Amino acid sequence: MKIVKETMVKRKRTRNEFFYDLKKNYILWCMLIPTFLFFLVNNYLPMVGIYFAFIKFNFKGGLFGSPFVGLSNFAFLWKSNILFDLTVNTILYNLGFIILGNVLQVFTAILVSQVTSKFFKKFSQTLMFMPYFVSYVILTVLVYNVFNYEYGLVNNLLSKWGMAPVNFYGEPKYWPFLITFFYIWKNLGYGMVVYLATILGISKEYYEAAEVDGANTLQQIRYITLPQIKPTFIILLLFSLGSIMKGQFELFYQMVGNNGLLFSATDIIDTYVYRATVTNFDFGMGTAAGLYQSLFGFVLIVAINFWIKKKNPEYALF
Amino acid sequence: MKGIVKRGLGLAMVGCLAASMLSGCGKTPEPEKLVSSEKQENTGKDEKQKAKADTSKKVDLVFYLMGDAPNDMQAVQDKINERLLEEINATVTFNFTTWTDWQTKYNMILSSGEPCDLIYTANWIDYAKLCKNDAFTPLDELLPEYAPELWETISKDLWAQMKVDGKVYSVPSSKAEYTNVGVKYREDLRKKYSLPVPDSLANIEAYLGGVKEKEPTQGILLPVVNTSAFDYSLSSTMVLQAKYGWVNQAAMYGLAADYNNPSKLFNYWASDAFREDMKMMKRWADKGFWSKSVLSNSNIADAFENGQNVMVIDGENPAKYTGNLPRVEKDHPDWEVGYIPYAEMTGVAFANHATGNGTAIPSSSKNPERAAMALELLYTDQELNRLIQYGIEGSHYTIDENGLYVEGEKYDDYRNEGANTWNLRNPKISLLHRNDVKLNEIFDRLHTIAQKTKYPDANIIAGFIEVPDSYAAERAALSTVMVQYLAPIEAGLVPDVDAAIDTFLQKAEQAGLSKIQKEYTAQWEAYCNEYGYN
Amino acid sequence: MKIRKTKYTGAVNLAAYIILSIFSVMCVLPFVVIVSGSLTDNAIIVSEGYSLLPKGFTLEAYQTIFKTPKDILKAYGVTMFCTAIGTGIGLVMTTLTGYVLSRKEFKYRNTISFLIYFTTIFGGGLVPWYFMISGVLKLKGTLMAIWMPGLTTAFFIILMRTFIVASVPDELTEAAKIDGAGHGTIFTRVVTPILKPGLATVGLFLALGYWNDWFRSSLFSTSQSTWTLQYYLYNLVNRAEALRSMANQSRITIDNLPTEAVKLAMAVVATGPILLLYPFVQKYFVSGITVGAVKG
Repeated sequence: MKIVKETMVKRKRTRNEFFYDLKKNYILWCMLIPTFLFFLVNNYLPMVGIYFAFIKFNFKGGLFGSPFVGLSNFAFLWKSNILFDLTVNTILYNLGFIILGNVLQVFTAILVSQVTSKFFKKFSQTLMFMPYFVSYVILTVLVYNVFNYEYGLVNNLLSKWGMAPVNFYGEPKYWPFLITFFYIWKNLGYGMVVYLATILGISKEYYEAAEVDGANTLQQIRYITLPQIKPTFIILLLFSLGSIMKGQFELFYQMVGNNGLLFSATDIIDTYVYRATVTNFDFGMGTAAGLYQSLFGFVLIVAINFWIKKKNPEYALF
Repeated sequence: MKGIVKRGLGLAMVGCLAASMLSGCGKTPEPEKLVSSEKQENTGKDEKQKAKADTSKKVDLVFYLMGDAPNDMQAVQDKINERLLEEINATVTFNFTTWTDWQTKYNMILSSGEPCDLIYTANWIDYAKLCKNDAFTPLDELLPEYAPELWETISKDLWAQMKVDGKVYSVPSSKAEYTNVGVKYREDLRKKYSLPVPDSLANIEAYLGGVKEKEPTQGILLPVVNTSAFDYSLSSTMVLQAKYGWVNQAAMYGLAADYNNPSKLFNYWASDAFREDMKMMKRWADKGFWSKSVLSNSNIADAFENGQNVMVIDGENPAKYTGNLPRVEKDHPDWEVGYIPYAEMTGVAFANHATGNGTAIPSSSKNPERAAMALELLYTDQELNRLIQYGIEGSHYTIDENGLYVEGEKYDDYRNEGANTWNLRNPKISLLHRNDVKLNEIFDRLHTIAQKTKYPDANIIAGFIEVPDSYAAERAALSTVMVQYLAPIEAGLVPDVDAAIDTFLQKAEQAGLSKIQKEYTAQWEAYCNEYGYN
Repeated sequence: MKIRKTKYTGAVNLAAYIILSIFSVMCVLPFVVIVSGSLTDNAIIVSEGYSLLPKGFTLEAYQTIFKTPKDILKAYGVTMFCTAIGTGIGLVMTTLTGYVLSRKEFKYRNTISFLIYFTTIFGGGLVPWYFMISGVLKLKGTLMAIWMPGLTTAFFIILMRTFIVASVPDELTEAAKIDGAGHGTIFTRVVTPILKPGLATVGLFLALGYWNDWFRSSLFSTSQSTWTLQYYLYNLVNRAEALRSMANQSRITIDNLPTEAVKLAMAVVATGPILLLYPFVQKYFVSGITVGAVKG
């Protein structure tokens, strides 16, 4: 009884606090209304769909009228004992993308900010942005034309130089590098903009003071620029970690296609699920796989965020 | 604090969703009940009156078709609606799935409960599975009541083929067709280098080898990976149809049966014949009949017409072959194209199954009766059927003195079957095209062959409705194993065929192959038993 | 302020030029191939593959695309409309949210941040969302269905919050508050002017998202009148893909399959205009804004 009473009181107090804040900061709350509605409609309400993972869908019954089947929609994930390999592949690729990608983006952003010629600054930025616009469908064709065994560009060059042709599409070992390369290539310009904007947001006063103290460019980068972009860097890194189990399906599918010879090095959860469900169109299995990915990412991100919050709350994501 | 916010949000969510989901998916009326109550009211009146009796309220129907809309769809739709308003006080809006993500969209239209009163169905879009999951309204009572002419015009035999668990869910196209595939090849090259006619597996190999030898840079074959099949993974093996007269194009889950002895399944993947065939594939790959990078090839669809390969061994059915001829004649007047149905090599041919093209009323339709009436008119009324099939006479097409279809001035804006209404083909009122003469000639040849088989014109495999529910997970796992391990074998890109087959079988076993085979065999035997195929 | 040239500055500058040049060339090469391919005779592409300079120069692919200019111009119109309205509304929404979440006095900022971030991890999948837009909101077939769901993302909001925290010093807002400014004034008069690089970034990302979107257009269009440019092109390419996946199906014929050259020309047509937009936004990335100027 006592406990119940206490929690009641506590609940009342928290509720009061909430309404108090609502009253005090009503302008701030109003500013959130559009965003609140947006996420409600596009994300929170549709989340009921997670239930698809546990039913055998029947069109007449709909989501809630279909028979509940427990975990059987998840079974295909571990049927051939490759879930572990797939998970490892997915995580390693994503780690590569996230870390290497961000580091290179920071690097290029600093370079661009150092360049003095305004024309070159604009020009190189535009050029580096271009791959972002190459759709994956086109990328497929380009990559195939470069790496094809018989008439690909690389093998043409190799044979010109008197070297033996390389069977790219028959050897898995090249693909982790190729895929990572094309991912970074495609996103370099896009990611760089974020860091460039951050660098430009740094107060000029810092640099001026450094100049007065006689710091050279490298020292300025080391002691002003890098520390200033560190929060952005960490937050972007953290942000990506939540999706570490979600693969870049288009990238992998379009580059590798259905080439079984390469799967040992290129198969990620998303491509596996695609192949498994494309034959037998099934909302249940797809949702089940997605849920597995989400849960994994969620646990990971909550743990890391908790840890970071303890160390340095400024860098925490939430 | 956090708790409160979350809880509040949670409550709101549940409330909204309950309301929305219920109103959407749950509100679907029970068509059978509607039908039966109205039936009682209407007893004793003649059919015309019956139809008119409940059309007092104007309704707008939505008809979903596959692919892209022709440019002049709106104009044709307006013309159709003029008539429909007059006849049954309804209008039809034709919506299209487009070819982008069509499979997802198709399933979503049916599952989200959005307005849709008529929809294209086919065995290749899971017709049977959708029926079993109540996606469509049963038509057995609805059609005789509201679309009696339609019910009469289609033969009992076709209706029987449409049945899933004893009920008809879709109205088939009533045109008899053969979709048995064959070999299409460059006859001019054959003559030029005096190579053998590719009318057997050995001759096919000799022909391809001959071309490769004389023209080393010429592409020979362009097989593609198929991720959505359980009988093969790379289309190169489709050429084995020249060797085997099975019920199916290839061995489903490794199980095959001779067309003349359908009930007896045997394990092809475990047989020596399979190993031999795969060694042949390796030989072909080593001879350079296809690229070493073939597994990643993003094949372009009209490679043969572009001269990228000299033979098509998969999916080339008579209609496709004759349909592409005009283009070849136009682009490459110096070419000659030959075509040999596999049926002529193995003696097995059978007509297309009725489930290949059909029209269903989704169970989410709010006006199933009016949809049935509209479908009847579109299917049986000559003016309406020709409008939807060919467009507007005089502008999109004309009819010549022999009664043949001729492309009109604005043909590009509404082609022959431009709205992809393969499901509304009604031979009683349809127009023939001059190309159809050649097509019918091949059909006649196939018909002759079909008559000589043990089960004349029975499409045994297509009539079988597999229920994979009990092995869905195994099946999903197997499909990925096949693409990973079987496709490279079928592409002849493995160094040691026997070892690769052993690995493949072992992985397939892990995925649950024997369970699949056991259950599939049981279902298959029961089916053969029921229909008297033995 | 004149920057003193030290030994290092020169060297760093030179290195920057060289490395950036290499990166730029690597990034632009494939594009050159695409443009050159789009100007090449299709038969040559098919037989000899791509090259850096067009062999057998022809404008045929572009003529094919613009044969019915009405359709493609309409698609341009749809894309531009959605990009303009979506970026406009979305930027305001995102900035407001980022501002609120950066206020230290706002107690629930972490809770809300979490709720927003949560949506990137968990999702209900396509069907319920589709049902929401088409069934509940009845937006299917309207332009709103295309721009509304793209208004913001968790990523943009967190990014905006980070920009605000990084570039708007607390002293500045505190000073404004002491002067009696409310949140509205602080937001419009103090935060927004300093935030230009951040606004330009998120605005650019929003615009790019709209420009590249084909998926919503594909899902929610009932007729060609709401096709975006990307979807118009994507769907054309997909016809060939669909035909391939149905290779063994019965009597399916698909007309108007695009040639390789047409596919490449499509890519050029779809990308050109947005590339022109980029330098326009760029001025915010080229020269930063000094805090002093705002203070003054």
